[in-house]
Amino acid sequence: MNTHSKIRPIVNPCAQPFWDATREDKLLIQQCEKCKTHIFYPRLFCTECHSDRLGWVEASGRGVVYSYTVVHNNSPSAFLADVPYVVAIVRLDEGVQMCTNIVDCDPAAVRCDMPVQVVFEALDSEFTLPKFKPAQ
Amino acid sequence: MSSIKGKAAIIGIGEIPTGRHGDKAAIHFAVTSAREAIQDAGINKDEIDFVMPTGALFNGQFNTDLVTCRVVEELGLKNVKTNAQVFAGGASGSCMVKTAAGLISSGVARNILCVHADKLGTGLAGGQAGIDLFSTAGISGEWEVPFGQHYSTIAALSMTRYMHETGCTAEDMAAVCVSNRKWAELNPNAFFRKPVTIEEILASKMLATPLNAKMSNMLFDGGSAFVMTSAERARDLCPRPVYLLGESSRVTHFVHSQEKDITRFGWAEAGREAFAEAGLTPADIDVAEIYDSYPIYELITFEELGFAERGQGGRMFRNGDTWPGGKIPTTTNGGMLSQGHTGAGGGVALVVEAARQLMGKAGDRQVPGARFAVETGTGGTYMDSQVTIFGTEIP
Repeated sequence: MNTHSKIRPIVNPCAQPFWDATREDKLLIQQCEKCKTHIFYPRLFCTECHSDRLGWVEASGRGVVYSYTVVHNNSPSAFLADVPYVVAIVRLDEGVQMCTNIVDCDPAAVRCDMPVQVVFEALDSEFTLPKFKPAQ
Repeated sequence: MSSIKGKAAIIGIGEIPTGRHGDKAAIHFAVTSAREAIQDAGINKDEIDFVMPTGALFNGQFNTDLVTCRVVEELGLKNVKTNAQVFAGGASGSCMVKTAAGLISSGVARNILCVHADKLGTGLAGGQAGIDLFSTAGISGEWEVPFGQHYSTIAALSMTRYMHETGCTAEDMAAVCVSNRKWAELNPNAFFRKPVTIEEILASKMLATPLNAKMSNMLFDGGSAFVMTSAERARDLCPRPVYLLGESSRVTHFVHSQEKDITRFGWAEAGREAFAEAGLTPADIDVAEIYDSYPIYELITFEELGFAERGQGGRMFRNGDTWPGGKIPTTTNGGMLSQGHTGAGGGVALVVEAARQLMGKAGDRQVPGARFAVETGTGGTYMDSQVTIFGTEIP
């Protein structure tokens, strides 16, 4: 039995709106109001043009699996009870990438380029992690 | 392109056997390797005017000692003007070479001692505690650690996508491990020296698909060092100076999942520029010291540098082209997979091995008449692509 508590994100304060939104089942990313670039993970200013004018927009929550792996052994302690679990990089339709887990499916069924959609999984009362499941 | 070609050279090397040395302090590895490198260079210790230690990953006290001139004092170096750390994780070896060469060619320093030591084999809690510790090193605590990302998954993500795009197999990955082991069998400083087969590797415990336990590096204690000086001085001091002929690099990410192409990174661009500066092509290279840590990275780098077409490198690791006696001897110390991973030292060991081969001091694994070598390094979660080319002559 897993006696280790889950690992909570170490939050950079500029990302707080992201974490506030996932608690309400919303996936927010940033968009530069000047050059329109979509940005994830959250930054203080635009990574393309250095403008301060970043706004938050709700992402479609849809994307594809860029790559994935099914963890069977030697995971960090906090995840020993979760094996087998899937770690993936998902590319959202907005063009940004994120590390996540693929859930709600047989780990063996995950494939590269598979369409996925976001689901929200509460870690505790403060944090909800955006994860992904096969698109319907 | 930089303009460092032919201006500086490695003239001495030192290294302790990679292993478990629980009865010795990390500084022991540093000063032992450093003294050997200074002796090998044939200079007086007091001619060293610049000491460039790299970092110790998880030993804060020892890392601070390195920053605050402990190596200078312990070695009794009397004429050191500067002690300054150059630390870029696994890329530290490559980064020390170019930094030292720049300081030498500009006249800031004359004789630079570059040194690494760390105690990851016996200085850390092993087993599960070690996995937990390493799963926070260079992995984003906000965007990746909470999802169970760790070094096995990072390597596995590149394997999965690379195999998807190229049709290569886990056998190809295992073949890289076998090739490195064949070199380590001939390397007295390597930890793993018994032959291994593709079948044994694929039968080992599955960590994170498609990465097996025996495709993973293990952490050990280690120390290595080299001395660099100007090309002019090197010609007077050393029968076969190892000239820096070219270098280039790319930094591509911090957070691994932000990498745009986890099957290529920046190797092609860095390689093209480094070879152009050296005035060489991959066909001119006698020995390729390619950073491994996991076989996928060695395979990707090998291909992206131009030693094989994309997707075709695995065949060369299988058929012996990269083995002792092969067409392109590769990672001839056995790499982190077989010599052992010593933190920032994995890359320093590859610089030392490149120099050792070109100096003709590689013993049973000497590549006969080796004149030109390429060395690569990368740190963190494969955040950068560092390519360095050395030669015993300046083409």
